[in-house]
Amino acid sequence: MRAGDAVTRRVVTFGRILREAGLEVGPGRLQDALRGLDAVDLTRRDEVYHALRCTLVSRHDEIEPFDAAFAAFWERAPRPAGQRPPDLGLEMPNDPAAPPPPPGLGGEPEGVEEEPIVVPLSASPEELLRERDFADMTSEELVRLRRLMDDLAGLRPLRRSRRLRSARDAGTLDLRRTLAQAMRTDGVPLERSWRKPKLAPRRLVVLVDVSGSMEPYARALIMFLQALVAPDGAARHVEVFAFGTRLTRLTGHLAGADPAVVLDRAARLLPDWGGGTRIGESLAAYNRNFGRRGTTRGAVVVIVSDGWERGDLDLLDRELDELARQAHELIWVNPLKGHEGFEPLAGGMRTAVRHADRFLEGHNLAALEALADAMRESGSGRLARTG
Amino acid sequence: MTAQLSNPQDVADALAEHAYLADRGLATVLHLSLTLEKPLLLEGEAGVGKTELAKVLAEITSGRLIRLQCYEGIDVAHALYDWSYARQLLYIRSLEAGTAGGDAHRTLHELFSREFLERRPLLDAIEHDDAVPPVLLIDEIDRADDEFEAFLLELLADFQVTIPEIGTITASSRPRVILTSNRTRELHDALKRRCLYHWIGHPSLEREIEIVLLRVPGVPERLAGQAAAFVARLRELDLAKAPGVAETIDWAQALMALGQEELDADVVDATLGSVLKYHEDVERVRDRGLRELVGEARSQ
Repeated sequence: MRAGDAVTRRVVTFGRILREAGLEVGPGRLQDALRGLDAVDLTRRDEVYHALRCTLVSRHDEIEPFDAAFAAFWERAPRPAGQRPPDLGLEMPNDPAAPPPPPGLGGEPEGVEEEPIVVPLSASPEELLRERDFADMTSEELVRLRRLMDDLAGLRPLRRSRRLRSARDAGTLDLRRTLAQAMRTDGVPLERSWRKPKLAPRRLVVLVDVSGSMEPYARALIMFLQALVAPDGAARHVEVFAFGTRLTRLTGHLAGADPAVVLDRAARLLPDWGGGTRIGESLAAYNRNFGRRGTTRGAVVVIVSDGWERGDLDLLDRELDELARQAHELIWVNPLKGHEGFEPLAGGMRTAVRHADRFLEGHNLAALEALADAMRESGSGRLARTG
Repeated sequence: MTAQLSNPQDVADALAEHAYLADRGLATVLHLSLTLEKPLLLEGEAGVGKTELAKVLAEITSGRLIRLQCYEGIDVAHALYDWSYARQLLYIRSLEAGTAGGDAHRTLHELFSREFLERRPLLDAIEHDDAVPPVLLIDEIDRADDEFEAFLLELLADFQVTIPEIGTITASSRPRVILTSNRTRELHDALKRRCLYHWIGHPSLEREIEIVLLRVPGVPERLAGQAAAFVARLRELDLAKAPGVAETIDWAQALMALGQEELDADVVDATLGSVLKYHEDVERVRDRGLRELVGEARSQ
């Protein structure tokens, strides 16, 4: 290797910078990068760049942070202030630009009054928790809620897969097994074995509104979503996005044991937290960057929002139309719906009524149970249509 | 014999000889994939030439192209091998008809010999006696499911497979592997770690004109330039499916077949279907003002 050790040291340091920027760079990758550099002309910027990029980057959305780090480290470009994309979930405790954690996470003393108990005294604490409005919950209660949510989230919508499994009754003939059994009866296939399509988890796409009017609910919902994403096996069947005035993909950031940490991280990721809403534009961003690539197709799409659109209603109409046409089912969850006297008056809600297949409440755990039921039914109830 | 491919420039030149114009980045990455013997994972929008690259790579290395098209539910029986059950059953019948009471153990052995093995693409790529390693194209891996991805991961790790009835088969020389993905879902990290990664974007205008001139022999230079400029302009609009290079080439061919020397709004309107594949997109472009867009492209 030319200038061996110095290059190795530089590449290792560069790897550390990339890790800091959120890329997964392990020793194996660094080794590949070094081997890659060995095979190109080190005096050519483009070859060095691509040798490092193809070995250290593994996702399209990593290219941007990689480019910034490459420019900063190898070309000593000044790193523009505040240029770090917020979507990376950087841990920057001493960054003054980082938004403060959302209000209410460290316990909220004001506004928490003893609720008049209207349920029978025999009700368990869990029972009380089930009916309690998320908006009125303390953070402690929210954490207790998480355990209940875990149970709920284990249930996933299903669809019929093209993969086959063994079955008792007639389906497709399982020749391999039939033949193996036939060997026992002198090659006469007396017993026949069958195969049938297996049920696989249906993809679930959840878009959560985290704007000001939704703020009390967004925390509980993000916890619910974390419970959905947490079981690692299911992780790749669930996609979670948050939106206010812009869209942020949350999927990868929800994995993590402690709900408080996740909430904190989510709040930092979302500059919108508690801000205004542009549902149409956010859905347009989703359709453009994810939906059209196939994320929506065949999925159960859940939008959690109160429908207070501050943007263009025509745009919302168009984007919802596109979404509804590609999705297996579109479920709209409105936490305000659970409140007495609710009428879908918000302009966005009236638009949503035209496109969504179902409307549900989302203001307490009991409502989320109904949501989980709806998601399951959505999977099994319409097998014939998509199978 | 094949061209020497000892540096990125050689690779780019060799690709260009087979009418594939790669930028420096792609040539560098492909060169590394060949040198480090690592699979290359290509991502990018549809129609930017991911699959085509594998085909051309097979040509320049004079290796055989083995293609595995992935789809949902693809499994080992489709991708690696299967037994020919019908022939096995027939064989049993013929044995019964002939020598009654033969050696059962030997019969069993014969039944699961290579003679009854149906080879699928992956087995072909591993067990080959080609002088040059074949090019294995695993197309649209994102359409396969998790189980298949896990299986593939194992296969790409050491290029050997075990068939219980026959034994372990190891590749004498590793195939050159190209995987493509349209990113309908994120692939597993472990699989990605085995591969070099490259994102193919839309080409620059100059490059796209070169590609059209190369791919559509006899196309008037002015027409190629205007068509490429028009398509580049379309990509800036918010379309459901932005046209790729493949569409530009198709369109240039269509325009040439119509005897066009350059773009005009009426012909563009009539042939828009070979560029845009969604009704909404056609509408959006018409709303945007076809004449104006054509005018911009002509002034390039």
